[in-house]
Amino acid sequence: MKNKKLMFWAIVLIVAVCAGIIMVKPTKLGLDLVGGSRLVLEAQTTDTVAKITPEMMDSLRFAIENRVNKLGVAETVVQQTGDKRLLVEIPNVSDLSKAKEFLGETAALEFKKEGTPINGQPVWLSTGLSGKDLSKALLNTSQNGQWVVDLQFNDKGTRKFADLTQKLVGKPMAIFFNGEMQSAPVIREAIIGGNAQISGGDNGFQYEEAKKMVDLLNAGALPVPAKIIEENTVGPTLGADSIAKSKTAGIIGLGIVMLFMIAFYKLPGLIADIALICYSIILFALFKTIPVTLTLAGIAGFILSIGMAVDANILIFERTKEELKAGRTLFTAINAGFDRAFTSIFDSNMSTIITCIILYMLGTSVVKGFALTLALGVIVSMFSAITITKNIMHLVFGTGELKYPQLFGLKKEEIGKAFEVKETKREKAKFGVLD
Amino acid sequence: MASTETIGKKPLIDIVKYRFWWFALSTVLIIPGIVAMIYSSMIYPNHAPLKVGIDYTGGTILQYSVNKPITSNEITQTREKLEAKGIENPFLQIINVNPESAKNNQIKTIISVRTKFIGEKDTQALNNVSSVINAEYPNSQLIQVSSIGPTLGAELFKNALFALALASLGIVIYLTIRFQLDFAIAAILALSHDALFVVGCFSIFGLLFNVQIDGLFITAILTVIGFSVHDTIVVFDRIRENLRYYSKKMSFGEIVNVSINQTFVRSINTSMTTLITLIALYFFGGVTTRDFVLAMILGIAIGTYSSIFFASMAIDVWREYKAKK
Repeated sequence: MKNKKLMFWAIVLIVAVCAGIIMVKPTKLGLDLVGGSRLVLEAQTTDTVAKITPEMMDSLRFAIENRVNKLGVAETVVQQTGDKRLLVEIPNVSDLSKAKEFLGETAALEFKKEGTPINGQPVWLSTGLSGKDLSKALLNTSQNGQWVVDLQFNDKGTRKFADLTQKLVGKPMAIFFNGEMQSAPVIREAIIGGNAQISGGDNGFQYEEAKKMVDLLNAGALPVPAKIIEENTVGPTLGADSIAKSKTAGIIGLGIVMLFMIAFYKLPGLIADIALICYSIILFALFKTIPVTLTLAGIAGFILSIGMAVDANILIFERTKEELKAGRTLFTAINAGFDRAFTSIFDSNMSTIITCIILYMLGTSVVKGFALTLALGVIVSMFSAITITKNIMHLVFGTGELKYPQLFGLKKEEIGKAFEVKETKREKAKFGVLD
Repeated sequence: MASTETIGKKPLIDIVKYRFWWFALSTVLIIPGIVAMIYSSMIYPNHAPLKVGIDYTGGTILQYSVNKPITSNEITQTREKLEAKGIENPFLQIINVNPESAKNNQIKTIISVRTKFIGEKDTQALNNVSSVINAEYPNSQLIQVSSIGPTLGAELFKNALFALALASLGIVIYLTIRFQLDFAIAAILALSHDALFVVGCFSIFGLLFNVQIDGLFITAILTVIGFSVHDTIVVFDRIRENLRYYSKKMSFGEIVNVSINQTFVRSINTSMTTLITLIALYFFGGVTTRDFVLAMILGIAIGTYSSIFFASMAIDVWREYKAKK
């Protein structure tokens, strides 16, 4: 009995600590709940790049990270998944189409010289000078008040540019951005300072256009083009609606289940309800500590695990009732109920955990969230049923005879008299042979 | 001889006696779904047994919130206007969120537009859809964009089937270790029974109500499988236990019957409580997971049925056949 009391206080302590964690730690909510954008980019092979190497992926991730950071949003995620894919998560974005446009852009800046025209069409040839040779780009206004982009070359670029402009004096040099010619000024003299300007033709740039070009150039060119192959974007209003509804559904569902347990199992049902509340507190604290990002699918997994936690209690109580009917004493009946229900609980939960592990390994990130919450839920539910429910049951019912069978929802005449009070051997109770 | 009464202590329902009737009932439950799946794979252009969403075919779904109820007449008009703007085969759906709500700031209806894949470069198509929707429904707002590239869709589908096969294998191995091979096979048959029923139901829903399955559907099926096995194991565990003590005194069929009777109340109560939470989630939870929850409700109901009336009967028939040989 002393051990039982010690155990009880240990449980109280655990639950109190968990409640503390819940109050202090913030909940990590998924993008489908707070609103945000989840994108999967895939690196594309081109004529010049036949195979995507891990090094390319590293520099692609770096470039994408740079661009995402330019959006100025906290807690963005850029992560490699598979051989040639990047997962990008951007929370709290208001204008989603903008962010998307920004990510996929290649930012290929090229300087080209004139070749011999074919059929009267000008032909532009590569000079080997490109966006890689830049140190930075700046937004500026020209003398006549138009938006221009100032370019500053790095050391290597400065040399290349000086060399090139010297050769091209009197000839035009075109600046291409993402395959589109921006301007083709005629070089008057060699430029050795390492500075150049893109004026954007006769009409100049729009502010947005110039700003975007500067940002893209500064973020660095993508080593290989990347395409968005999957997108899931949720606006903040839908997310808020989902959170509110999941809360309502959870409270209503849990409330009815608790009432059902009391109605059907009486006092043990009430004990199970208390264990269930402890279970929810421990599990939620666990979610916050790990931390598990809660998504809609994750909440569904959580609610399903409540069902399985209740199942463990139902199995135990049904078994205890059977043992009482068979005539076992209260203490042994409770023990036997737990011991004999345990194999069912263990095997059935193991099969759920196996399914969860496979889902976690193979599933997409949505499925992963579901599998993780369900698996954690099942593990904690085993702990709660076997430790918390059992402990409280023993403390409440003690070792004496069951004076009020109604507490178990049983009638007096249903209680068997097969065993006398002295029969308390645990092993015997466990294998409760009747004959 | 310990008669069955001393174990059950309550009137015994003889389930085993009618086992072939239960098999017939299972057939009746599953056949319509199979017919729907065959019919679907004949009439759908992609020959899928289910109406699949963009998760498996690739495409883009744009969802707009509208703060008034929408009639199906309006939807038809909107579709025509979208087609006039050059959007190919748009598929429109109305999702009622809070139709009764009087609050103005709440989303009342979501209008969902499904089109072919809109890539990041194709902002024109996105703007076209938005401009039509905004013109038709003032104060509408783009609240969700989901896009899956065409190649990725096929890949997701393959991965899903692979996960399904692997999960089944894992369960067979576990049950063979903990029970015996024939129990494992009966459990797998039961879970196939349940999965087939749920998939069949959604095939029918697809034909009748245009319900499309999405990425979450496979999660729902896997959960149903997990629950089905969970439930089956509880009954099998009791059979295993009773076999240990009564195998000399009772026939296998009697033991199965006793075990089912002993676990009957538990089976019903467990399903009840799980169904309560799910039904609460269905009616009060978010709209985006509604089909997912429906799949689980159907799966858990059939899972409880199959562990009693299918898995246990299958093992009984098999053991009897083996004993006769």
